[in-house]
Amino acid sequence: MRTFWKRFTGLFSNRRLETELDEEVAVHLDMLAEELREQGMDARAAQEAARREFGGIDSMKEAYRDRRGIPRIEILAKDVRYAIRGLRRSPAFTIAAVLSLALGIGANTAIFSFLDTLMLRMLPVEKPEQLLSLYRTGGWGRGFASYPQYLEFRRHAELFNGVLARSGAYKVRFDAGHNNRAEFVAREFVSGNYFDVLGVKPAIGRLFTDADNRTPQGHPIAILSYDFWRSRFGLDPGVLGRTLMVDEQPLTVVGVAAPGFHGVEVEHRADVWAPAMMFRGAIAEDGMHWVWILARRRPEISKSRIQAAANTIMRQHLASVYGDKPDSAFRRWAMEQRMEVRDGGLGISMLRDEFAKPLTVLMAAVGLVLLIACANVANLLLARGAARRREIALRLSLGATRRRIVRQWLIDSLLLALMGSILGLLFAVWGERYMLLFLPPGLSDSFSVAPDATVLCFTACISIISAIIFGLAPALRATALDPAISLKGGASQAPVGGKRFGLRKALVVAQVAFSVVLVVMAGLFAHSLAGLRSINPGFTYQNVMTFALDYPRAWKDADKDRFRQRLLARVAALPGIASFSCGALAPYQGGIWNAGMRVPGSARTATEGVEVALQGVGPGYFATLGSRPLRGREFDENDMRATRKIALVNQAFVSEFFPGLTDPVGRVLSFDDSKPEGGEPTYIVGLVRDILHKGLKIPAEPTVYVPFHQGQVGFDPTLMVRAQLSPDTLLPMIRRELNRLDPEVALTEPRTIRQRVDDSIFADRMIATLSGFFGGLALLLAAVGIYGVMAYAVAQRTAELGLRIALGADPAKIGRMVLRDGLLLITAGIAIGLPLSVAAGRISSSLLYGIQPGDPLAFVLTVAVLLVIGMVSAFVPARRAASIEPVEALRHE
Amino acid sequence: MSTGSSKADVLQGTLDLMVLRTLESMGPQHGFGLAKRIQQISGGALDLNQGTLYPALLRLEQRGWIASRWGASDKNRRARFYELTPAGSKQIARETDDWARTVALMERFLRVAE
Repeated sequence: MRTFWKRFTGLFSNRRLETELDEEVAVHLDMLAEELREQGMDARAAQEAARREFGGIDSMKEAYRDRRGIPRIEILAKDVRYAIRGLRRSPAFTIAAVLSLALGIGANTAIFSFLDTLMLRMLPVEKPEQLLSLYRTGGWGRGFASYPQYLEFRRHAELFNGVLARSGAYKVRFDAGHNNRAEFVAREFVSGNYFDVLGVKPAIGRLFTDADNRTPQGHPIAILSYDFWRSRFGLDPGVLGRTLMVDEQPLTVVGVAAPGFHGVEVEHRADVWAPAMMFRGAIAEDGMHWVWILARRRPEISKSRIQAAANTIMRQHLASVYGDKPDSAFRRWAMEQRMEVRDGGLGISMLRDEFAKPLTVLMAAVGLVLLIACANVANLLLARGAARRREIALRLSLGATRRRIVRQWLIDSLLLALMGSILGLLFAVWGERYMLLFLPPGLSDSFSVAPDATVLCFTACISIISAIIFGLAPALRATALDPAISLKGGASQAPVGGKRFGLRKALVVAQVAFSVVLVVMAGLFAHSLAGLRSINPGFTYQNVMTFALDYPRAWKDADKDRFRQRLLARVAALPGIASFSCGALAPYQGGIWNAGMRVPGSARTATEGVEVALQGVGPGYFATLGSRPLRGREFDENDMRATRKIALVNQAFVSEFFPGLTDPVGRVLSFDDSKPEGGEPTYIVGLVRDILHKGLKIPAEPTVYVPFHQGQVGFDPTLMVRAQLSPDTLLPMIRRELNRLDPEVALTEPRTIRQRVDDSIFADRMIATLSGFFGGLALLLAAVGIYGVMAYAVAQRTAELGLRIALGADPAKIGRMVLRDGLLLITAGIAIGLPLSVAAGRISSSLLYGIQPGDPLAFVLTVAVLLVIGMVSAFVPARRAASIEPVEALRHE
Repeated sequence: MSTGSSKADVLQGTLDLMVLRTLESMGPQHGFGLAKRIQQISGGALDLNQGTLYPALLRLEQRGWIASRWGASDKNRRARFYELTPAGSKQIARETDDWARTVALMERFLRVAE
């Protein structure tokens, strides 16, 4: 090692060592000559004798130098310099190759970086592979469970080495006592054993124990995440013992968690942890599903055994809680709950559930793009190799080994790959920034655009693999020649073996085939998105701004109500406001509010109550959404205070409970579902369109709209304002009014309805846009490939074609012949690509909405587009072939 | 290197040991002094171009067996002095053993051949 290092440094301090050696030799010669002089020789003779005695100075120096540097590295450095010179000399080739690779590598890096964050990166906890996520299904949403359910699972030490519970990491108000500006932090409520079960250590201070989570509202302490400690407190250890206002709860900081730990949910990172007992609400209520359960399984117990056990535990738990309740829709709903045991090592992620498949498909797509790019570069290299035959032949005949020349070529390739990956990383950062725009707000926090070590390693790996893929075959090809023939014949006339040219054609066919797959996919996803876009959501989504308000905790419902009225009144007075309202849940807000009910006279509810979706809406709700009631009327101000119970129903409700009826106004339903005829009646006053509240893909369910009363509805309403103004002008105006009324109230989640609709299909939009982009890229690369091969073929055959024209062949016919050759390549590519596309379409059929994987439109368009592009790219070389001047061509000989 | 029949070529690897031994017995020495001493000890039986010494010195230095520094010679000239390092002393011990074994082995063969 030491020798190596000395030799290595020797490479860089060449000049100094050289002069030192010169000096040493000079001294030696002088000493020797002096001694000889002392023995009586005259000065000149002594010098000559000394030189003889010393031996060949130059050969010695050579030996010395060989010894000093690492010959291999020196040769390598020489090769690299040579390669750089070569690439510089042909800038067009270099730019084309580097750009192709950069696009391929960049696309792969960008998609991989997403994939890594969401699907590959393990949580920074102890033995993450043992973690399980207990995912609740059936009845009242998914994932989150109740605290009693958590306690039930926690008892089973025979299955688990620890069971923890945590709430979602939601943004809440935060005040460190410095300023009055509204700040928000992500707070997560956790069970006392949370850090212990995960095996997370404190950076400073201490973490929670079970003793910190015993009595409701009795443990006002908090732990900070390391990143939050750094960004907000500058790593000041004095933060320990300080009291922070988190969601208007005074919490004393007792510790900071280890760096890198942000909680267990991928897309929602926690800044502050508080004991679950500090949760404001009915912590231990059975119907309150607010904690997500994670467990560390005993290593010896398999996941399937735990699943079986979980089914039993859940069944017994539900029987004990709901078993004695009267038979009703509510009870059936409750008893349907199951606990699904999932792997938890990657962290929990609702985004992953939705987005994993699209990402995987995109990853496969960019893999194909890279292969196409590699084929392109390989083709360029082959053409370059053909042009450099004479040079290679010369080097071979001068004694260079083939191995050395192949190595030289691979160095060329690696250099191209290196440049491609550097540029590709830039493209990737840019591309990731673009991709993040598709994600709904708040979900992009955990995705960083700056590549980390894993991503860089991935990029380096694919670059090197690409370099070998596109570099090796051309290198072997280019050096497999007989120097004598090549030197004699010169570059242009070298025998073009069928095989040599066959490789280039095969590459183009492969390019076309892969392009077909990508273009078909792009067509399928675009068609699917167009289908989604054409769905009528039940309202017009232009110009409606929605937002929520965050009030001080001390405010009562009546205060909030009054404030909201005042704000809406002031907003209504602004110029350009068409209408306004509020509602809970607002369209696309997420969340579920259900109730059991009976419809007197309906066969559907004759034997049992039925659960329907419930919405609380303010006056003018449907006018604001641009969806006038089909029958009857919507609520007005008076209805908000009336004691007579009234409701609106949607079309799905009518077809479910009043089949065949066109006007349900005047009919009755009842939320008392204990008896067949119902109890207190609720009068239906209007019929409204089906509004797709949960996303464009989810069909409307039977829904009952009731007047919004704060207090009766468990949610803060979302406010909606329809205006002629653009959101960018409207929003600051609303904020200004809000600030004038009360700066303590914050405006949150501002989003136009249009954006909310877009958010609900973000994965479809993203995959359609990106696959369209990749399809286009593939077409471009394939076009360049076809053009390159055809142009090269014509150049190679200039003499022959010229001769044919001279002998009387029709130039137009020659042109058509070239064109036909090009078309043959494309047709072959399409023939191979189509079955591949069918397979690819089938794999991604679950991502398609409303169309079949064999969608004829996508396939026909793809074939047409490829034929056109193929024709265009073969046309220029064909024209050139047809316009060859026989005299020129023959003189060229 | 010339191929005198009466004079021995330097066997691969032996020059290293000669240099190390000479440095051990004489202490720090410059290249010329070393060459002269090696020729003296060999009694003229060794055909050695003095220049051959320098690549060998570099090799030994790279291996960490000798160290070099610039100093003044007895005639007050700037010259590069080489000296043995502790690792070099150990190397001498090792190689001496090797040589002794090789010599003993060869002797046995030569005796059998007689």
